[in-house]
Amino acid sequence: MTATQPLVATQSFSHGTIECSDMAKTRRFLGEFLGVDVVRPLPEAQYLWKGGPWSVVCVCVEGDAKIQGQQNHFKLSVRTAAEVDDAHEAAQVHRDDFGIREITPVKDDGPFRAFRLLDQDGSWWEITTLNQAHYDRLFEQGDHKPA
Amino acid sequence: MTAVQQVADISVEPIIQPTSIVCGTFVTKDLTRARSMCENVLGLECVSPEPGVFLARERGHKPGEALHGKPYWVLEARQAETIDVPQEMLNHWGVFVDSQAAVDEAHKRVDAAKAEYGLGRVQKPRFRHGSYAFYFVDADSNWWEVEYRTPDLLYTTIRERGDQVHDEQA
Repeated sequence: MTATQPLVATQSFSHGTIECSDMAKTRRFLGEFLGVDVVRPLPEAQYLWKGGPWSVVCVCVEGDAKIQGQQNHFKLSVRTAAEVDDAHEAAQVHRDDFGIREITPVKDDGPFRAFRLLDQDGSWWEITTLNQAHYDRLFEQGDHKPA
Repeated sequence: MTAVQQVADISVEPIIQPTSIVCGTFVTKDLTRARSMCENVLGLECVSPEPGVFLARERGHKPGEALHGKPYWVLEARQAETIDVPQEMLNHWGVFVDSQAAVDEAHKRVDAAKAEYGLGRVQKPRFRHGSYAFYFVDADSNWWEVEYRTPDLLYTTIRERGDQVHDEQA
């Protein structure tokens, strides 16, 4: 952390964003498949969240939503590796129902298990056992030291 | 029973039951520059757990600090040779400040430091949907929003209010 005063007096993260082209279809996917909470305060936007005060703002655009790459994705934390496997299987079973475009294989990365999917609106989601406890450890350990 | 009906029956119990949206990710062609921007411009706490990666979170979550033990959102930045999908203003990350004056002050300071941090466009603050905010874009096409919301328009308050728009009204 720098000793100087930052230019912005940030209190907290507030939100990230995704796009959609059909509010109802997207909400069904978010609520019934991904299991995140959704509220629609505006005709052109719905807000989703899970597990904290921050939100993801989903903005409805005219035409097709932008298709993101895997470089830009959101991680959804689940409790167990079995839940990752179940989610992966469910993604394949319900692929057509929810318009899921791509599903990556399940992979182990150290102690964590995960896969990613590309939804109907071009947003990538990673279903993972990685959780805040892991991030707690990383922030506590500090920067890696070159060997 | 159609596939749609089958899915509708699951609506009470979502197929995946996550505990949190724990992280969002973005990429940069210059990890050092991006980290400097996150720390010195946005005031985030950053750590680099391995080469080519840094994590950012809001300040205050260290042991002994006010937010320790509370949930937080992590942004994960990775070094990349290329930005595969350049981002646009609609794709952005937002941070809260505690007053309209803080937005104005931040805008003044960020605009003055554009060259130092390699920033692109810094838009003027404006009111939109109850928030007072400005946007700026960094050298990697990542957009950032600095916003203030009155308590009745915070995202957490909006959640409690429930849907204000239904499909038939849209």
